[in-house]
Amino acid sequence: MPEHLLRGYPYNPAVWDEMIDLSDVRQSYKGFFSAIQTIPAAEMDLKHELARKLFMSQGVTFTVYSSGEGIEKIFPFDIIPRIIQAKEWAIIEAGIRQRLKALNIFLKDIYHEQFIIKDGIIPAKLVFSCPNFLREMMNVNVPYDIYTHISGIDLIRDEQGKFFVLEDNLRTPSGVSYMLENRNMTYRIFPDQLPRNNVRPVNHYPDLLLKNLMAIAGEKSSEPVVVLLSPGIFNSAYFEHTTLARLMGIELVEGRDLVVDNHFVFMKTTTGLKKVDVIYRRVDDEFIDPLVFRSDTILGVPGIYMAYRKGNVAIVNAMGNGIADDKAVYAYVPDMIRYYMNEEPILHNVPTYQLGIPENKDMVFKNMENMVIKRTNESGGYGMLIGNCATEQQMDDFKVAINADPRSFIAQPIISLSSAPCYINGVLQPRRVDLRPFALYGPDGIDIVPGGLTRVALKEGSLVVNSSQGGGSKDTWILAD
Amino acid sequence: MLSRVANSICWMARYMERTNGMLRLLRTNYIASQNELDSASWRSILKLYSDRPDEKSEFGPEDSLNVIEHLMFDSENSFSVCNNIVRARENARAVQDNITKELWQCLNDYYHLIRQPALRDQVLSGDPVSALDTLIQQGMLYYGIVDNTMARGEGYNFLNIGKLLERSVLSLDMLTIRITEHSGDQRLDSSAWRYLLYTLSGYELYLKSYRGKFVTAYVVDQVIYNTDFPHSVLYCLTEMNRYFERLKTCSLPDSYAHVEFHIGRTLNNVKYSNADHVQLSALTDFLKTTRNEIFEISNTINKYYFGHN
Repeated sequence: MPEHLLRGYPYNPAVWDEMIDLSDVRQSYKGFFSAIQTIPAAEMDLKHELARKLFMSQGVTFTVYSSGEGIEKIFPFDIIPRIIQAKEWAIIEAGIRQRLKALNIFLKDIYHEQFIIKDGIIPAKLVFSCPNFLREMMNVNVPYDIYTHISGIDLIRDEQGKFFVLEDNLRTPSGVSYMLENRNMTYRIFPDQLPRNNVRPVNHYPDLLLKNLMAIAGEKSSEPVVVLLSPGIFNSAYFEHTTLARLMGIELVEGRDLVVDNHFVFMKTTTGLKKVDVIYRRVDDEFIDPLVFRSDTILGVPGIYMAYRKGNVAIVNAMGNGIADDKAVYAYVPDMIRYYMNEEPILHNVPTYQLGIPENKDMVFKNMENMVIKRTNESGGYGMLIGNCATEQQMDDFKVAINADPRSFIAQPIISLSSAPCYINGVLQPRRVDLRPFALYGPDGIDIVPGGLTRVALKEGSLVVNSSQGGGSKDTWILAD
Repeated sequence: MLSRVANSICWMARYMERTNGMLRLLRTNYIASQNELDSASWRSILKLYSDRPDEKSEFGPEDSLNVIEHLMFDSENSFSVCNNIVRARENARAVQDNITKELWQCLNDYYHLIRQPALRDQVLSGDPVSALDTLIQQGMLYYGIVDNTMARGEGYNFLNIGKLLERSVLSLDMLTIRITEHSGDQRLDSSAWRYLLYTLSGYELYLKSYRGKFVTAYVVDQVIYNTDFPHSVLYCLTEMNRYFERLKTCSLPDSYAHVEFHIGRTLNNVKYSNADHVQLSALTDFLKTTRNEIFEISNTINKYYFGHN
């Protein structure tokens, strides 16, 4: 065992470690680990520095705008990849496929006949009280009945190594450009390691995405015009928007570049107006059409909703998906799978207690120190209380807020996320990780690129992996058989 | 191509051309200020590239380093080099999918380069020439990347039109600065012309063409009429016309006709003038009129191609 890298790598039996089992390196990491153990510490530091410089120079950054001029920040990148075995990936892939099919049927159902409510599987109150349920989507027929064209499913592992779904992101999930960039970084800093370890490639993601976007246009046009709608350069994910547009060779547009005429959408070009058939939008529902949703914003396109409703333009992802990834509706996804598909869920949910139910609320209040409490309509690691590190005061504040509006809260037992080795201060140290694979749902079925974004909580002991809370990312290797 | 994208590409090129012009101007003017007793004043340059009112300007004639620092790095001064680069990069950022990745990275590196504190220290500690050279080099890299990686499509034409618009204005401005600086001094000594030609990268050509005789008429001839000189006004207008003609097949006929009229008129007004034989005051008027006509071209393009109303 190499001395310098594993020096003091603590083994914690209460946490699943991706690399170490008892005190031996797991099979999946063996090849990579034997390659890096001969690398001297100074060279590892250089690799770490190289990664930082490359990200900066390629503009793989997000801009924090304070006081006029923006400050460039890079999304912290850890050079040690996270490695997943073929048989583990097979379970993840099957589980996500099953889950997405059910969620997609749910969206079609909830915006049409609502059988799932009539059959008493999901309470009507829960659905109609969700702020992301869009009445405007009722009885709107979307192309090929697909709502969740692009999704990112957040997975975590408990201390047994079992995968759980933590969250479904069905609106405008981001991070796929980091999956691609992280992979490009790995071959620069660890030459030959990808082929030697038989790592499955991810770089065909943009081709798959474009194929699906074109297919959505159907027979309406033999050469559909596909655009990516971005809120603009001030958006923190702008880098991702430009990367995807470039890799697909499609036009990157902003709201002000589009105009609706007679319920058709056009873009303003140097040669006049040009009709748009498919819009991959990275603008949230509430901003997309000021005539129908929020009227105090100009990010979207006035009139686009009616064009969509009439079927004159396809919008990806569909509007109104927020009802399916609501944190309280999440608790019912296993029931949806059983109801719509007559199958047992392959990937499990984290046990979730809706605080709108009085018994749950009493139970959670008694066990608050063992619970994570989340607001149902927030994301990014905000609006969250982690019981074992909260103060009395914070708990009391949450109790008051919960009593005032129980529907907006859920509680989950604290799951000890798995850990993976990170190169920090010259040695490997375990840090907690999650995994977000990206799935594409098109008329021909579901494609899942073998990889994803591994987010890592770089603070020691932290369980929060969100980039807004000091999280970073890693390259994710899926090994072929 | 989206109107917004065409507009941004055009302005990216303009800001980069302006950056290059300013850096070379600062370089030669600094060297002049060290070499000559009276020929290099910063007044006209500050008037053109500083937002501080002339009379309140706190810079004395011996303050070269502070003036350069102000014109290069002062983010409060909206005409400074660093603000030009920020704007060029912001424009490039918004059209990343329409320019090559190499080009975007070059501008991104330029931005990170000018923000390095070491560069500013180098200027203030007395070696502005090295700092300016570093930046000029990065600018040359930009031109090379544009030339070797950009597809010859609509975007490339707008990029060049932007570059040439800016370059023709720069040449007119440089000439105007030298003439007004020396308005009281009818001799217009050779060193002033020498520095002007350095600034416009035209010194060597001048030596070859005119055998080292520094005469106003010859300088005007080169800077305005010599079509072998890539910074001459006539060269810029001829090339601009050529790039614009390439847009014909993908333009609305009405838009094309309007812009074509303005470019053609300005081109002919310059081509069939004889500014190298006239009095200095008439020359100044001619420079001013031409400058206005060039701005008129820019406004017409804004209106008919970029959707500004």
